[in-house]
Amino acid sequence: MAKVWRANIFPFAPHAVLDTMKQSWHSFDMLGGTIVARESFDKEIQFLRLVALAGGAYNRQQFASRLGISVHTLDKTVRSLKQTLSLSSPHLTAEQSTELTEGLRYNYYESADPLLLFLYRAKSLKESESIRLTLLVSSLQERELTAKDLQDICSEQMPADVPAPDEKTIRGDLKYLEEIGVIARSGESRPYRYRAANDLIDQLTDDELLDLFDFVDVTANTQVPSVQGYLLRDTLKKVLRGRGIHALAADTHRYKYHYHSRILDEAHLYTIFNAVRQRKKLHFVYLAPRKGLNYASKNTNPLYEKESRNVTTILPLRVVFDHQYGRWYLIGYNDRTGIAKFRMEGLTQLEEGESVPEAEFENKLGRVLEQLENSWVTDTLRTLKVVARFYNPDHRSGVNFVRERVQAQGQWGKITEESEESFVFEIQVNGIYEIKPWLRSFGSSCEVLEPAWLRKEFISDWKEIASYYEPVRQNF
Amino acid sequence: MSLFDKIFNYQIISRLDETGSFALTSQERTWLRTMLGHPEAEAAFAPETLVKLRHLLGMEEAPDMDDAASSGMDGDVRDIIIEKARSRQRQVYHPLLRPLRRIMMASGGVRLTVRLKHGGIKENQGGLPCKLEYNMAKREWYLLWYDTRNRSLMSTRLHHIAAVEPSELAPERFQELTERVAKLMEARKKQAVIGILPNYNSELSRILYAFSCFEKSVSYDETADQYRIHVTYLADESEFLLSRIRFLGLRVRVLEGGHLKHRMRQTASWALARYQTEDA
Repeated sequence: MAKVWRANIFPFAPHAVLDTMKQSWHSFDMLGGTIVARESFDKEIQFLRLVALAGGAYNRQQFASRLGISVHTLDKTVRSLKQTLSLSSPHLTAEQSTELTEGLRYNYYESADPLLLFLYRAKSLKESESIRLTLLVSSLQERELTAKDLQDICSEQMPADVPAPDEKTIRGDLKYLEEIGVIARSGESRPYRYRAANDLIDQLTDDELLDLFDFVDVTANTQVPSVQGYLLRDTLKKVLRGRGIHALAADTHRYKYHYHSRILDEAHLYTIFNAVRQRKKLHFVYLAPRKGLNYASKNTNPLYEKESRNVTTILPLRVVFDHQYGRWYLIGYNDRTGIAKFRMEGLTQLEEGESVPEAEFENKLGRVLEQLENSWVTDTLRTLKVVARFYNPDHRSGVNFVRERVQAQGQWGKITEESEESFVFEIQVNGIYEIKPWLRSFGSSCEVLEPAWLRKEFISDWKEIASYYEPVRQNF
Repeated sequence: MSLFDKIFNYQIISRLDETGSFALTSQERTWLRTMLGHPEAEAAFAPETLVKLRHLLGMEEAPDMDDAASSGMDGDVRDIIIEKARSRQRQVYHPLLRPLRRIMMASGGVRLTVRLKHGGIKENQGGLPCKLEYNMAKREWYLLWYDTRNRSLMSTRLHHIAAVEPSELAPERFQELTERVAKLMEARKKQAVIGILPNYNSELSRILYAFSCFEKSVSYDETADQYRIHVTYLADESEFLLSRIRFLGLRVRVLEGGHLKHRMRQTASWALARYQTEDA
């Protein structure tokens, strides 16, 4: 009964799925007695993560149940996706569109474009608003205009079936565009004149622009955080194209062994950052990833919401990015348990709470940082000494890749003795759970010396693994 | 500041595209300013470009800088991020990236001077540069190129390239070589199937994350309650794939892929030989 429904689930323009699914995924806030829809992207993030990580694994029923939606809703979604098949996304390269028809299989050999970035393009917007904002921004590209000029442009150029905006609407839009830095106001006296804030693009020569594109490309792909870098990269790529710079220009670099889904978790990064800066607590509902990729259905009726779910409250202090898996953790403090650690992928319904005094924040931060000091990733179990002998590869190969890797990845551990054939590595680390996979990844180039019980574990693990690959005996 | 700002909405973006217009936000400029603070930015630009960029961004008023000032804190999100288990960063930028990418854009060939592992250099290596590749695990840049003399696809650390000179390539020759490279790349692709032991299904998320840096798809066999990861990789990546499989230990097992199975069997027996004094 393996996968019966694999190839036909994602023949889609990705934006359409978000729109369709979001209709049922708004969360609600009570505001002055009325219910206000507040757009939440929790489900989209989980949906995309599920597709990105486990793409192809589930049939309709399984997929729907893991997303917490009905099969009917899923079918409806898929139907609308098929209708929009012909309108494939202009943001995807040819290679990616082809890949999409087989699920979200990322082909990193072809392109450095981050496929999952479209999550951040999902904010819903009225048709009329998107037409108006675009008209304003495009009118201001090469000239300065007043609010009145812009209102005239809107009444002339907006489609007949969309009502022309009034002055108040235009002023509101300009205020918004100015706040987010897309346009700038010039002059001190009224009427103010506005212009697109495109100096970064306009003032650069073609050659400089190419260097800037490369810098943004490299940095977004190799550093965290990266979402804003990817958004900027998208824009610069279009500028290059607009200036007629060679079509291959944006396609010379690629990045291998990249954790593509890491950009989904950045969605929460700034909410956490703002809370930390203001020393505010955070409330959220945590869906422990340990329970599998299963997201319990969320009732969109506000009366039922949060009733059956446990809201967790912590004082957020730091986030940890784990390079071994490409995963993010939120580290905080909870009065009941002390240090609290959560995988960022399990955070939903994040909300800011009350703030705490500076001294309390500093005190807890100090304690947590001290506890994390010897964490391979986030483990805060008792600190112990791990000693391992690493064996150098055959020296004819010229490069000692074992030593290179231990030095590059061994964090604060030290090489204590060395001979022609081997060297000894020592580290004080919190528990062995997180360092063990790393030691094991060296295979027979690593022999654990201390602690003795860990050495025994390695022997028994390797025996077990050997049994996985024993040739099957035939009975004659 | 929100990453889900309506200005990033796809309808707006595609409409802006139609009119050839652009919208650059403060948060993108703030990000860029932060990243330009990295010392390696020096290698990415001509000195005068860097001065110009810093000037353009310095004049920028970032809305969140005001908040930062009022709370007496730096506004850099990286202050709250702790990166763990990262490979020491050998390089983010390499001085050869700029000249090489320009040669590639012009569909040109190269003549390389390469440093050899045991010392010494090899001059006048002619070929076609294909891609500049950053290996996230090793945190290092490589040039993928086609060696025309030996007719083979090469991957050379930029660190080992002593000099690069452009060379002329006729358009037909460029086309011919590009097609040959594409065929060679395709021929190097391999497939393997890695099964998750059902006892470890509760760790599915962790295991899938560990393989998320490969081109892969997943299938699920309901009767056996087993997940299988179908990985596509290039032949020269098998060692990295193996290190991931060993990393996960008892949780996974290679189901298809003769070479990988052979290497896993070999590793397990060699590893046991290291411990043989106690218990063999």
